[in-house]
Amino acid sequence: MYEDTKLIELKSISKSFGDTEVLKNINVYIRRREFVTLLGPSGCGKTTMLRIIGGFETPDAGQVIFDGKDIQKVPPYRRRVNTVFQKYALFTHLNVYDNIAFGLKLKTPEELLPNVKKPSRKQVKEEIDRRIRRMLKLVKMEGYEKRSVDALSGGQQQRIAIARALVNEPEVLLLDEPLGALDLKLRKEMQLELKSMQQQLGITFIYVTHDQEEALTMSDTIVIMNGGRIQQIGDGKSIYDEPKNAFVANFIGDSNILPGVMHKDFEAEFAGHVFECVDEGFKENEPVDVLVRPEDIMLIGSDVGMLVGEVKSVLFKGVHYEMKVDTGDFVWKVHSTTMYPAGSRVGLSIVPSNIHIMRRMEAEGKIEA
Amino acid sequence: MKRSYFAGPYAVWMILFTIAPMIFVVFYAFHTTDGGITFDNIIRCFDATTMKVFLRSVKLALMCTMLCLLLGYPAAYILASKDFSKYKMLFVLFILPMWMNFLLRTYATMSLLENRGIINTVLEKLGFERVNMIGTEGAVLFGMVYNFLPFMILPIHTSLKKMDTRVIEAAQDLGANPFRVFARVTLPLSVPGVISGITMVFMPAVTTFAISRLLGNGNFMLLGDMIEKQFMESHDWSFGSALSLFMMILIMLSIGLLNRIEPNKGEGGGKW
Repeated sequence: MYEDTKLIELKSISKSFGDTEVLKNINVYIRRREFVTLLGPSGCGKTTMLRIIGGFETPDAGQVIFDGKDIQKVPPYRRRVNTVFQKYALFTHLNVYDNIAFGLKLKTPEELLPNVKKPSRKQVKEEIDRRIRRMLKLVKMEGYEKRSVDALSGGQQQRIAIARALVNEPEVLLLDEPLGALDLKLRKEMQLELKSMQQQLGITFIYVTHDQEEALTMSDTIVIMNGGRIQQIGDGKSIYDEPKNAFVANFIGDSNILPGVMHKDFEAEFAGHVFECVDEGFKENEPVDVLVRPEDIMLIGSDVGMLVGEVKSVLFKGVHYEMKVDTGDFVWKVHSTTMYPAGSRVGLSIVPSNIHIMRRMEAEGKIEA
Repeated sequence: MKRSYFAGPYAVWMILFTIAPMIFVVFYAFHTTDGGITFDNIIRCFDATTMKVFLRSVKLALMCTMLCLLLGYPAAYILASKDFSKYKMLFVLFILPMWMNFLLRTYATMSLLENRGIINTVLEKLGFERVNMIGTEGAVLFGMVYNFLPFMILPIHTSLKKMDTRVIEAAQDLGANPFRVFARVTLPLSVPGVISGITMVFMPAVTTFAISRLLGNGNFMLLGDMIEKQFMESHDWSFGSALSLFMMILIMLSIGLLNRIEPNKGEGGGKW
């Protein structure tokens, strides 16, 4: 688990490329040993944020604080972070062993062996070898030392890229969509492996992805971004259960989002019906966005439902069926283990705690993160 | 396999203009002028005079290749860098000499270096003494470097230009300062460009003619000049063919040698 100390802090970071504003007033901090995921659609600024932390981009405004110090002017090669690049960027002129050795060979003998007085060349060589072998074991690539990196599969290259970065024992590991090129099965395996590596080594991970499931599987904290702004920060469960706006609700998990009006505290009207809910603190008759997760809708007899509609389509999804139910004002997405055939009339029931009311304006990205 | 018919015209071309001439060269090299078979021409390739010319050719070609590499690599590096990508004109200026006929260029160099040429005229006007440049080995070397430099810059520029910037960033990320990034990543990854640059400069340099005659006043006969002389002046086609054969083998050997240097992928490790 992470410690409650801020390791990295981004303060009012803005960045533009030409006329395009990529990051707009970003404020976020990352704790020691935390697994943070920057999640968002492509072009939301998540990779740029990572590159700013790595030192490959300079923000137009704002500060990057690392361990209490402003590191704006520190070049990438002096930062205590390492990166796993998108598409790996391995050195094709070096074999697996030398790829991993690259960073270690750049360190001084004293850095490699702080406990030894005047380390000899042999000691340094042995230390480098020891660390590489340990890393190869960690990423399960023992025996591949002399292979050419071109001869490796995508998953293997991925492991070498991770080993090459981790072997330097960075305080922070930056990962830029590292699993993007892998097939689904391998990706799931690697997700679990990455998570266990992070816990084993106790290193802070900052992970960029556009895959919400990946984010939910691995992260302590998820930072959801859109259009260069942070939409919401929180752990997976709180973001899923309490999305701050329609964008977040849509991005994380399946959802029914529809316009509604908040009559008063604990009472909302949407889809032509007045519902009891658990939200309060809205203005009287304030227009809102309403979120109901598909698995939170119960299908019951058409004579007892709050809403009545007709099943339009049925898809079998493995664990559940996904049905589209048209109630006249809205077509609902419903997940249920019981199947109702298309054309049948069903009643819909939603319990108050499963209705989530969101402020309209928040979707425009005006919230302070 | 109908597609193989498309290769037909090329096959005819190769037979007419590559294989047939080669057969003629071999034929002449082993025959006397009146038709008898002989090895004298081949043996003559190894006599003292020819050897001297041969060694001089190789020496000048090596020096030219070295100079082109020393001048061309930094030029290619600067031209390939991000800051210069806007100035396409600059790149064109470096390549421009390639668009002109090589004899024309050499005549122009001549008028620069002559005793009453442009450089000396300027020097005199400024009150300095004239410098004797034309007819020296330096002048020949200068002419060769000037002529062949673009052939070094182009392939190196291409290999640097297509290099993945993320690999450079990865090296920085792992703690390499700009100097080490160059020494350990950029340079090794540009080796294929350097190899083809060396090949493209060394080959024409070792076989060059006219440059030495025009800029060296004929004092530094090279292999190319010697072959030309056999055909144009001495009318000794047999010896000329033998020399050509000799030179071809020389080039083949040097290409073979260069290809050995080229790092085999996967074996490149541990070299630094």
